[in-house]
Amino acid sequence: MSAVVDVVRAELFKAFRKRRFYALAGLYWVLLPVVALITAAVLDRNLTGSFADQNGTIVQVVQGFASPFGLARLALMAPALMSPTAYIIAVALFAGLFIGEERSHHMWKTTLAVQPARMAVLIGKLTSGMILLGLLLAGGLATASLAGAAGMLFLPTTFGGTWGSLVGLFALQWLHLLAALTLAYLLVFLVRSGTLGIILVIFLPALLEGLWAILNTLQQLEPLTRFNAVFQALRLKQAWEGLPQLFFTANLYAPARHPLGAFVRSTGASANADLGPIGNLLGQNLTLPHAALVMAGYTVVFGLWLAWVLHRRDIE
Amino acid sequence: MTSAITASSLTKRYGRVRAVDAVSFDIQPGEIVGFLGPNGAGKTTTLRMLAGLVRPSTGSCSLLGSPVPGAGLREVGTMIEEPSFYPYLTGRGNLRHAAILHGGVPESRIDEVLGFVRMERAADKKVRAYSQGMRQRLALARALLWRPRVLLLDEPTNGLDPAGIAEVREALRTVAAEGVTVLVSSHILAEIEKLVERILAIDRGVLRYDGPLHGLLEAAGAGGVEYDIEATDGPALVAALERIGYAPVARGERGASVAIPSNQAAGLLARLGAEGVEVIEARRATATLEEAYLKLVGAEGRPS
Repeated sequence: MSAVVDVVRAELFKAFRKRRFYALAGLYWVLLPVVALITAAVLDRNLTGSFADQNGTIVQVVQGFASPFGLARLALMAPALMSPTAYIIAVALFAGLFIGEERSHHMWKTTLAVQPARMAVLIGKLTSGMILLGLLLAGGLATASLAGAAGMLFLPTTFGGTWGSLVGLFALQWLHLLAALTLAYLLVFLVRSGTLGIILVIFLPALLEGLWAILNTLQQLEPLTRFNAVFQALRLKQAWEGLPQLFFTANLYAPARHPLGAFVRSTGASANADLGPIGNLLGQNLTLPHAALVMAGYTVVFGLWLAWVLHRRDIE
Repeated sequence: MTSAITASSLTKRYGRVRAVDAVSFDIQPGEIVGFLGPNGAGKTTTLRMLAGLVRPSTGSCSLLGSPVPGAGLREVGTMIEEPSFYPYLTGRGNLRHAAILHGGVPESRIDEVLGFVRMERAADKKVRAYSQGMRQRLALARALLWRPRVLLLDEPTNGLDPAGIAEVREALRTVAAEGVTVLVSSHILAEIEKLVERILAIDRGVLRYDGPLHGLLEAAGAGGVEYDIEATDGPALVAALERIGYAPVARGERGASVAIPSNQAAGLLARLGAEGVEVIEARRATATLEEAYLKLVGAEGRPS
């Protein structure tokens, strides 16, 4: 246990001397709330009382994303709605820092000679990554709430909201990121290249899921194609169509995307529209317990794989 | 007494190639042992196996009585091949990182080891600005950070100037005097000769010699020693050496090189004098250990 603590302390000592953490934190903690508040102020000044403002729509919209609760909710959702998502970019950067750099600076031989307990090194590096991700998320929640509170001085917003649920979603999203972090460490370690590993982390899951979408479209084509013939012959159609329920990306961001319906409703739009396969990819039909279970499964698989390769590999 | 380092039939295969082939040796606490071998002989692979970085294909090794990998590794300081650091950290920062990572190293020890390798003045510069010699010193400081009982050093004097080499030699003597066991490989055989009393020589993965330094030198001396001799009259010198029964090679107008049995070296000058040759200077042509080493590993073997 003390070896793990030593590794965590050493890795954080290193991480806090890298600019990337502060750059990420600056973008997330400062830029996002500032842009949201400026947008809300512009909407409020220019559209309140205009033709677009029917039944207090503008106030609802501003409350939806610029109130303390709305802004904190936006801090949870926005990183999951980019492409690639800010969450996976942060994960990839930390994987580059904690795993990729060991290779690019030829540090594995030194690290494992200084701290020979390989499993302690692995657990310590995962813990360090999770601490940094937790700091980013907690900081995001705090700064967004504070910025929203400051916005109350010049915007028609209130403090209200289901705060307990939101904090729970932040915590759940943080836990889900453990699966992404484990996958990122595994890929960066396996490909033995920090840069290629980071690229794979960002694009591989989305690429595989995109391939599914293409194949799914092909096998639904009429008349009969080779694809749907194979699928029908193998009686795999149901399993194939149910596959998105197990997709990494959709389940990974389920907590962050969970409040999307409420947010869309707050803007006056209908969140009941059938988005089809895209809805599946967004995780619209996934429940949080299901997503948590799937991500736990991914974490176990990636974690065991990573532990095995780190334990077995010769350090050259 | 428990051995400090033990290798038992240590073997490492890469595909069909045996990088290290059934190497066995035993090093007692406090010994300083030189590890010699040409490039690709298996020195670094052996050191990596001892450091727990590479798994042996067969065989085993232990440090301080504990099998590798195991608890003994925490008592080991290593410098394996080119020293590596985080370039964006300072020298002191790299040492602090290593101290935290290892655990149980007081902050004051960092200044102590920096002073020991004479790196106090450069300690707060980023490592990316360090010369090769500075990196070597910092790596040695890191290897000493947690007061290891065993040091595994691969070419620790690489890139150092003569003064730096002498300093490292003194540093290793100092730590060895404190009871630290040192296994050191170096391509500077003259340095090894000044530092160690025991030699392990490996070639093509096979341990060719394990014994005292003087044993290796005596074995080499039995075959003859090469001398460079300079006299007032070169042709007369060559002719005299031929008359005595040697096969000299003329070197310039006044010199010659000749290989003679080591037990005849003492009487050589007197015999040349008797032949009427006025000798100006006579000196051994090569370092003693290098001679012995090259004889051991064969003509194609070159110190690495």
